[in-house]
Amino acid sequence: MAVPAARVGLHPAATGGPVGLRRVFGPDHRMGYLFVMPIALLVLSLVAYPFCYAIYLSMTHKLVGLPPVFVGFENYVRLTWDGFFQRAVVNSFVFTFSSVGFKLVLGVVMALVLTAPIRWRSFWTGVLLIPWVAPTVVSALNFLWIFDGSLGVLNYLLVRVLHVLPQGIGWLSEPGTAMASVVAVNIWRGFPFFGISFLAGMRAIPAELYEAAAVDGASVLQRFRHVTLPGIRNIMIIVVLLSTIWTFNDFQIVYILTKGGPGGTTMVMPVLTYETAFGAQRLGEAIAVALYLLPALAVTIMVLARYMRKGRKR
Amino acid sequence: MTGRRAGSVERAAAYAVLTTLALLVLFPFYWMTITSFKGEEQMRSLVSMFWPRPLVTENYQQLLAKTDFAAWYGNSVFVAVTSTLVATGVGTIGAYALARLRFLGRGFMASATLITYLVPPSILFIPLYAQMRNLGLANSLAGLIAAYPSFTVPFVTWLLMGYFESIPEELEEAAMIDGATRFGAFYRVVLPLSAPGVLAAGLYAFTQAWNEFLYALVFITDGRLRTLPVGLASFITGDVYGWGYLMSGAVLTTLPVIAAYIYLQKYMVEGLTAGSVKG
Repeated sequence: MAVPAARVGLHPAATGGPVGLRRVFGPDHRMGYLFVMPIALLVLSLVAYPFCYAIYLSMTHKLVGLPPVFVGFENYVRLTWDGFFQRAVVNSFVFTFSSVGFKLVLGVVMALVLTAPIRWRSFWTGVLLIPWVAPTVVSALNFLWIFDGSLGVLNYLLVRVLHVLPQGIGWLSEPGTAMASVVAVNIWRGFPFFGISFLAGMRAIPAELYEAAAVDGASVLQRFRHVTLPGIRNIMIIVVLLSTIWTFNDFQIVYILTKGGPGGTTMVMPVLTYETAFGAQRLGEAIAVALYLLPALAVTIMVLARYMRKGRKR
Repeated sequence: MTGRRAGSVERAAAYAVLTTLALLVLFPFYWMTITSFKGEEQMRSLVSMFWPRPLVTENYQQLLAKTDFAAWYGNSVFVAVTSTLVATGVGTIGAYALARLRFLGRGFMASATLITYLVPPSILFIPLYAQMRNLGLANSLAGLIAAYPSFTVPFVTWLLMGYFESIPEELEEAAMIDGATRFGAFYRVVLPLSAPGVLAAGLYAFTQAWNEFLYALVFITDGRLRTLPVGLASFITGDVYGWGYLMSGAVLTTLPVIAAYIYLQKYMVEGLTAGSVKG
């Protein structure tokens, strides 16, 4: 077939403009900019602009329906010394780290049992992933009903079937158990994502590594520690960081189960943001709550983005 | 390893763990379903806890007759389908450009998209709400459709970038040598090969939009304009009878997602492992 020489190479002239433009903007710049334009517009209007506006609003006194009044860092300073806010920060960290810790362990367990020589592997994988795809609101409502103090099935099981408790507990209404209960629901919903990600990582480890370790006389535990764990190290870092961001900003589960109660024992920062904005109607202060830990969030996002892009390049 | 014994012990342990996890995972859905078929009488009296007796459908009838549930269902379908189409279209062409085309600013846009995916809604919902109010889109489904691309598009784009990168570039080059334009190579060669990836990305976008709660809670004030998650949550009353139709609503809300998932599990599992995380 006779093809003009210029069209055969790796840089087809078909899509480029004049040579000069192509050199500056790249050989595919016309189609490239056309295809990326919608994303660029969306990112600018739905994320970049609102984000900058949020930073501005957090430095104002803004009541719903009234124009904002600029006050500098006053909202942040006031929050720093506000006991209720301080407790919300502590609660957020407790909620996040205990959830992520358990999800990590359960995720490793899930991935290990799914790589064991079992039958119906895809069936088991499918079943265990269900909490991840089911609507979170539905799951939260299910647990609200399961945890119910008077008619909930958890108390029924513990009191009347297993006889481990003399009487029922108001799991979500008593300060001693509320936090553990919302953490449990977050773990239930989130561990499958850890498991499926680790499973993908473990499948990618070459079988020769395990064989070599077995020849060297490594025990099951040693193989796990020296072959499996290093093999999924990068995925673990990515998944833990992703989940830390998601869990820290989880609103639905806490909002539906306790709304931050009883007595603020489960009040986490996203719920406090919502309550300050739409309960107390103080928008400026609410955004300051949301942005208070922005430096830490920004660092986490930057580190995570680097790992995610590095993971792709291989 | 010490031969077959160790293997069978390992297998038995794996089955024990799997069964335990599966029970923990499935129990809330089982409980939701049987609650939705229990009558008020039975729920109050704590008899036959684990099976409805008698099995009644009055919860479903009440739900459809006396609440706005049907309207919410329509709203959710409309919002989720529309924003899925937008996200899949925009994300597919964008991901192709970011994965394959060579132009100035590509690396920057790829990073910007990824970072956008990681910015949590909990810091965006108030300024977005203010923006929607200024545009006159607060308290309308259009406002939700306008806002949902903020999380669906970056996700779809990121997922499909990985997919497109895994398709050998030689295929497109061959098509272009045969006279196809760059667009033709994308449309006729890459796109058909990526159909499973696009399908998985679309399904995830649909699931995310269907499940979204925070924006819908904040933007919508009119009771009839709610989407399913917010509508369901508004049923929380603490009343015994409320649980019956709340759970019947929960069943109906879960059905489409689980049905799609069972039918297309293979693509969704692959998409999840190939897209969001890849090591």
